[in-house]
Amino acid sequence: MLQTKLIAENGLRATSTGFDVEVRLPWYRGLPLSTVEIGDVVLNGEAINPASVSIEVNGKTRLPGDLATLYDERWYVLDSAMLHVSHSELKRGEQYDVAVSVNLRPPYIPGLTWAVKDAKRLTANS
Amino acid sequence: MMASNSGLQLGVTLFSFTNEFHSRQYTLEQLIAKVAELNLGPGIEIVGFSSVRGFPVVTDEFAANFKELLAKHNLKPACLGLNADMYKNPNKPMTPDESLAYHEAQLDATAKLGFPVGRYQFLAGTDVIHRLLPKAERLNVKLGLEIHAPEHVNSPIVMQYRELYAKENSPYLGFIPDFGSTARRVSPAFISYFRQLGLPEALITLAEEMWLSKDDPNNPTAKIPEFQARAKAAGFRPVDIAECFIVFGLFSRQQPAAWREIMSQIVHIHGKFYHFNEDGSESAIPYEEILPVFVEGGYNGYMVSEWEGHFLCDDGGFAKVQKHQELCRRILAGCGAQNAVTS
Repeated sequence: MLQTKLIAENGLRATSTGFDVEVRLPWYRGLPLSTVEIGDVVLNGEAINPASVSIEVNGKTRLPGDLATLYDERWYVLDSAMLHVSHSELKRGEQYDVAVSVNLRPPYIPGLTWAVKDAKRLTANS
Repeated sequence: MMASNSGLQLGVTLFSFTNEFHSRQYTLEQLIAKVAELNLGPGIEIVGFSSVRGFPVVTDEFAANFKELLAKHNLKPACLGLNADMYKNPNKPMTPDESLAYHEAQLDATAKLGFPVGRYQFLAGTDVIHRLLPKAERLNVKLGLEIHAPEHVNSPIVMQYRELYAKENSPYLGFIPDFGSTARRVSPAFISYFRQLGLPEALITLAEEMWLSKDDPNNPTAKIPEFQARAKAAGFRPVDIAECFIVFGLFSRQQPAAWREIMSQIVHIHGKFYHFNEDGSESAIPYEEILPVFVEGGYNGYMVSEWEGHFLCDDGGFAKVQKHQELCRRILAGCGAQNAVTS
């Protein structure tokens, strides 16, 4: 069930500016970034302001809203993306409840929006 | 190339190992080696955008390594899955020219990797396939339209392609049955999955009952909005309805004998399966009835085992494919197929 693989195991990292969440594409093939919409990011019940989130994929860091026009750049199925979140610092070694949602619009299935929500309890790594 | 009288040969699509691949437990090379070790070939199908990083660009090095890998393991390239990504801009579908170029690039990749068949999707459209044909002939790659549930050999969209094929009369235009469209019931694997998700039993029953109700042959997708409307009117939650309606897109009820109508144009087969009865038979798809149709019809080509269970669970695909091929070998032996023992 790829829906439960959205948040990578051991995918939370504390940073000097907040935290990173490693995410996987919950689909069996690579998809154009224009068909991937980043939804909510929630930490211990706190909904993160979307303006505090950026996404790093294919070695580039962008705002989630910028993905919508990237029709010809794909997120390959084996690659992780990193959500960088500006936030007060996390305590390394502590556990946090992390939830992320994405909507996929597979470009060969007109009308389908595949809504995926994943939640995991993760330890903040260095 | 396969000899013209080789009969129905088995193989596997690496899509069956989505859980192994996505979780990075197996690389592409390791999947292929394991397929060979378990004797799940000789036919190999891949999905371009899944198995090949950077697809449809295929480097010379990748192509050489891939072909060498298959040869080393005595496996044969059977088919590559192309995608009609018409809505890569969700708000504006590709123009026919853009779609043609998108398919051409994938067809080049198909040829470069040594695959004799490119599986394409309805969304490509007859115009694009018509314009793609000269390139397919030049590259010696057959174009196979996957006939997937809820469509069937006589549904209006398939008829559009059959008319094109009749006009062109080219051996490079063919069909690829997916056996989910020749099912008897909704797979019990899905029913268990819905229960596991906690969907209301009455909603599951509604889906099963509607699935079994009479189909409109001229409108194969009619049951999807009908189910959504009835479930909504009955007060079920949209999120639950969204989980459930997929059964109308994965399974449909064409009679196995209907494949005879297009038998001479079939270039590859998806042996779709989900779940087995205790006696080893598939619990929704009657292989005992389906395979004899192809043996008697003189089909020459591959049927690749396609397990789509990654959708429902985290199980690996290898044991499932082994079980599917045991079933198919048993049936093929029973109907005197020449290849039943060796492959």
